[in-house]
Amino acid sequence: MSAAVVAMEDVGFILATYIATFVGSVALAAYYLRRGRRLAAQLPPEDKPWG
Amino acid sequence: MPDTDTSAMQLTTDQASDAARSAARSAASSSVRRSSPTGTPFTRVLGIATLISMALLVLFGLFLSPEDVVQGESVRILYIHVGTVWVAYVAFGVTALASLAFLWKRTTSLTWDRIAGASAEVGVLFMALTLFAGAIWGRLSWGKFWVWDARVTTTAFLFITYIGYLAVRGLGGSHQQRGRRSAVVALLAVLEIPLVHFSVKLWRGLHQDGSVSDTTKVKLHDLMLFSLFISLIAFTLLFVWLVMHRQRVLAMQDALEDKGLDFALEQRRSEAGL
Repeated sequence: MSAAVVAMEDVGFILATYIATFVGSVALAAYYLRRGRRLAAQLPPEDKPWG
Repeated sequence: MPDTDTSAMQLTTDQASDAARSAARSAASSSVRRSSPTGTPFTRVLGIATLISMALLVLFGLFLSPEDVVQGESVRILYIHVGTVWVAYVAFGVTALASLAFLWKRTTSLTWDRIAGASAEVGVLFMALTLFAGAIWGRLSWGKFWVWDARVTTTAFLFITYIGYLAVRGLGGSHQQRGRRSAVVALLAVLEIPLVHFSVKLWRGLHQDGSVSDTTKVKLHDLMLFSLFISLIAFTLLFVWLVMHRQRVLAMQDALEDKGLDFALEQRRSEAGL
């Protein structure tokens, strides 16, 4: 295998790490925001003292 | 124009500008509420700072920092790996401290329990990302995704322990029971962190020792050090943002459960004619 092919393979692995990290973080953030919106719709403002 | 008229006009202008400012503040605040009920102006600023620092991490981690003389391009994975494991350690530390505060008689409050739960949840995500990034780095550096090295194995064990902690939080009972039970588990689980950290010194293995703290062994390039610094900042900001939102979601969840219980009790009383 040539050095160029090895380097290309490395790039794929490196990008996969960055993409997985950002997708994982964004997915968790989106889940929290969506769940918060759903719960807030069922509660009066006094149960949300930070608002 | 008489002086009184001028001052009256001045007062009206001031009142109008106060009203405009107040309306703008209220609009901004309601826009935050509309976009996210768990958000505040502070979390909004924090979110923007997180996005900027993440963009800088990509810029420095993937493009501006040089490749390593030994590891080559795979060193770029470490900007993710080190940042995520740092946040996982911090998250589990926060879980332990909040659990201690919950158990301490003077500060006993469900808010501490919710902070502990939120922090552990975020810590588990970052620990999973640490293991994933480590496996990829291992494939490039050691030729294998997984080796039964002391550091790798104890990290996986720590990850499983905190999944167990989250499972304990999901067991039935009142909020106070949940808090007490999970606080005890958290205080036991945190004892694993020193074991994970010192495992590279205690046992011989493939995983390298610290490179940044021990400058006698390795001299890191300035851009590499700066990329690591950006990584720590970016992931710490993301951690704080996630924990703040999650803690508020848990508070609403608890409030809704309490209301459901009150409603059920009320129904039982009316059925019994009390």
